[in-house]
Amino acid sequence: MKKQIHRILLTVLLALSGVWTISAEAAGVIPDERLLPRLVDEADLLTDEEESSLLEKLDEISERQKCDVAIAAVNGLEGKTAMEYADDFYDYNGYGMGSDRDGILLLVSMEDRDWWLSSCGFGITAFTDAGLEYLSGKFLPYLSDGDYEKAFVKYAELCDEFITQAKTGTPYGEGNLPKEPFDPFWIMVDLVIGLGLGYVIAFRKKENLRSVKKKVLAEDYSVPGSLVLTDSYDRFMYKAVTTKTIEIETTTDYESSGSSTHTSSSGTTHGGTGGKF
Amino acid sequence: MSDVMEYKCPACDGAMEFDSKSQKLKCPYCDTEISISEFQASPQNEIPEDDTDDEVHWTPRNDDRWTEGDAEGIHVYTCQSCGGEILADQTTGASTCPFCGNHVVMKGQFSGDLKPNFIIPFKLDKKVAKEAYYRHLKGKRFLPKIFRSENHIDEMKGIYVPFWIFEADVKASVHYNAEKTRKWDKQGVEYTEHKYYDVFRSGNITYRNVPANGSSKMEDSLMESIEPYNFSEAVSFNPAYLAGYAADRYDVNTDVCLGRAGQRIQNSAELSFHETVQGYQSVSPSRSSIHLQNTRYCYALYPVWLLNTTWQGRRYIFAMNGQTGKMVGDLPLDKKEFWKYAVTRGLGISAVLCIIQLLMTMM
Repeated sequence: MKKQIHRILLTVLLALSGVWTISAEAAGVIPDERLLPRLVDEADLLTDEEESSLLEKLDEISERQKCDVAIAAVNGLEGKTAMEYADDFYDYNGYGMGSDRDGILLLVSMEDRDWWLSSCGFGITAFTDAGLEYLSGKFLPYLSDGDYEKAFVKYAELCDEFITQAKTGTPYGEGNLPKEPFDPFWIMVDLVIGLGLGYVIAFRKKENLRSVKKKVLAEDYSVPGSLVLTDSYDRFMYKAVTTKTIEIETTTDYESSGSSTHTSSSGTTHGGTGGKF
Repeated sequence: MSDVMEYKCPACDGAMEFDSKSQKLKCPYCDTEISISEFQASPQNEIPEDDTDDEVHWTPRNDDRWTEGDAEGIHVYTCQSCGGEILADQTTGASTCPFCGNHVVMKGQFSGDLKPNFIIPFKLDKKVAKEAYYRHLKGKRFLPKIFRSENHIDEMKGIYVPFWIFEADVKASVHYNAEKTRKWDKQGVEYTEHKYYDVFRSGNITYRNVPANGSSKMEDSLMESIEPYNFSEAVSFNPAYLAGYAADRYDVNTDVCLGRAGQRIQNSAELSFHETVQGYQSVSPSRSSIHLQNTRYCYALYPVWLLNTTWQGRRYIFAMNGQTGKMVGDLPLDKKEFWKYAVTRGLGISAVLCIIQLLMTMM
């Protein structure tokens, strides 16, 4: 209960101080007490220090990008699906910047360990289906391990990167995903391959020291043209046919925008993906 | 007639030697040259025509023994250390054993032995052999540098090595299991058709002048490595060709040599027949019968330059074909240099791979 009061106070304070800008439309429609901060930790997954530094990060990114990057950690979904809950949470609590309510929300529900990424406005453009898959692949391992702070920071940083990329006109999508950083593991692999090849090259070079070899053939001494075939045939015996079904690779066609969308209960268009962690 | 009479220079009475360049006897003192036929009108060793026999057995082309006249001036030197026997004329002055490097101390007359039918005279001289040796050391990265710089040839000998020369007609009948495969796709299904064939080949192939080393002192692999010799340049044996060179005496009998040469002939024949089976993805012989017919052999002396060198207590032997100049001989390995090379090249390749990967992640 104390936490709840604390949260509301903080919200009001933030709203009043104008740190958190909301769209004119949203401000007009949604009462101020329903406007929540970009980090809502109902499930109490983070310590106070983690919370404040993460919120600072989310605010900084959102302000700079003019696109909300938010996180909501709740205890349960109140009978809704993760998608419905996330979309409603987004719409009801005034997330999204500008007239299109640009933004993205990560919902984590501890009850059944559900997660959902709900995008809206420019968020739908910036986070394509392939992009969302990539993004979730990066923070989900931490989420599953219970390292929530790391998962959320990773999510925030990647969202920043995705939005920046989307502003160049070509958002991250199929065949255009962020390049993986160079993994030091590959240095080991390269070293093993390199040294292996080095040994093979040296070994082959070593062979020129050996010139004494036993001869097993007498090909130098066959009389040219002396090979005469007196009888020969190639007789067909039988045949066998084996079959194998060719597996056709199925390729998923993404929509032209690269993002699939749906409409929330309040009639807002959202993109998103989710699952269990 | 004295022992050395036959090889005495008609001009100055000096001991003549066989000169590989001019293929004549040459006097080292007064440079007089005289051809062998001029020097000695020795009866030619005719090859008797072999009676075709149904039974498979190896017949010598002739069975000439040394006559007293032939053997005059030829001596067998026996090394006390390794037992190696060297045939040489008196003028050679073979003072060290070409096999073990020890002094040859005993000598004896030889007669009654099988006389060689043919000889391929030395075509290349000592100088060429020496050059070939240094060329042999070139371009060998892992040869210890000290071996190259400190190296000196302990002993260098032109030796006539006894070879048994075999010839045979091979009659072969071979059955093969052969397979043709064909692949095609139809409506999402890949079909593979295997067609099996019984392939039969029967015929003849002839092998001539297959040599087999007749000296136990010479390593078979070393002698086989300097092959082939061109037998068309062989001439009827005449002891005068030995002047200036040593000659080893055969001490491996024909049966042993026959085994080796026969096996080589058989392997080659199998391969030649196999190559006539074309157009299949896989061919494997199922059963075969290979017979050697009209088998004959003769005894010949082939020219070999032998070079000995000792390095770090190990003896290294090099041999050069005295007819073609082909040089062989295993060389020591500089292990440090080998690993240095392997590791530096390995690290270089690794670095290039890393850079390529780094560039790929950045692009």
